[in-house]
Amino acid sequence: MPQSTSSQSKAGADRARANDAAPDAARVTRACAVALLVPGLGHVAVGQPRKAAVFFVVLMTMFAIGLAFGGRLLPFALEEPLVFLGAAAEWVLFLPRVLAGLGGLGQGDVVAATYEYGNTFLIVAGLLNALITLDVFDVATGRKRP
Amino acid sequence: MTTHLGIMILFAACVSTVFGTLMHDQPRDQLRLGGRIFTALVVGAYGLGWLMYFVFG
Repeated sequence: MPQSTSSQSKAGADRARANDAAPDAARVTRACAVALLVPGLGHVAVGQPRKAAVFFVVLMTMFAIGLAFGGRLLPFALEEPLVFLGAAAEWVLFLPRVLAGLGGLGQGDVVAATYEYGNTFLIVAGLLNALITLDVFDVATGRKRP
Repeated sequence: MTTHLGIMILFAACVSTVFGTLMHDQPRDQLRLGGRIFTALVVGAYGLGWLMYFVFG
């Protein structure tokens, strides 16, 4: 009987430790949401400000270069699957995408020699932010050491 | 900077910086990985360009 009590208390302690180690769902969601909103902000939320600064500077630079090169903020056009996917990638950088759209930027200068380069920079900036958001998720859930 | 090579170098610099920072925590490791990715992207694209020139040019 004492052995049973001992094993029960050990199991209880294990459960308590597991609960302590379990990631806070609200914190994880918040970190991922702000990571999608502004590049780097998710890493600030998980306590990695140096990485956050690098991501913010690089991705905002890529986004600005994309616009400066005459890249287009792509619409969600279902009849053109590649344009649709490009638009989805650009929206991963949510706040810069919204601000650029509101500012009338990103109309797309199709005759510019750098038009396709601009689109590439805009799309890849969004895709990199998706990877950065996955990294935030891993750190916030404890899968990756902060 | 609006030459194809210039833009490619700019693009490679941005992408390698993000991947280097993402994959490692120590600045030395980040710099090393970023440098390797940058070199691979630039040399790979340059080599592929010449390969296509010889095959299809």
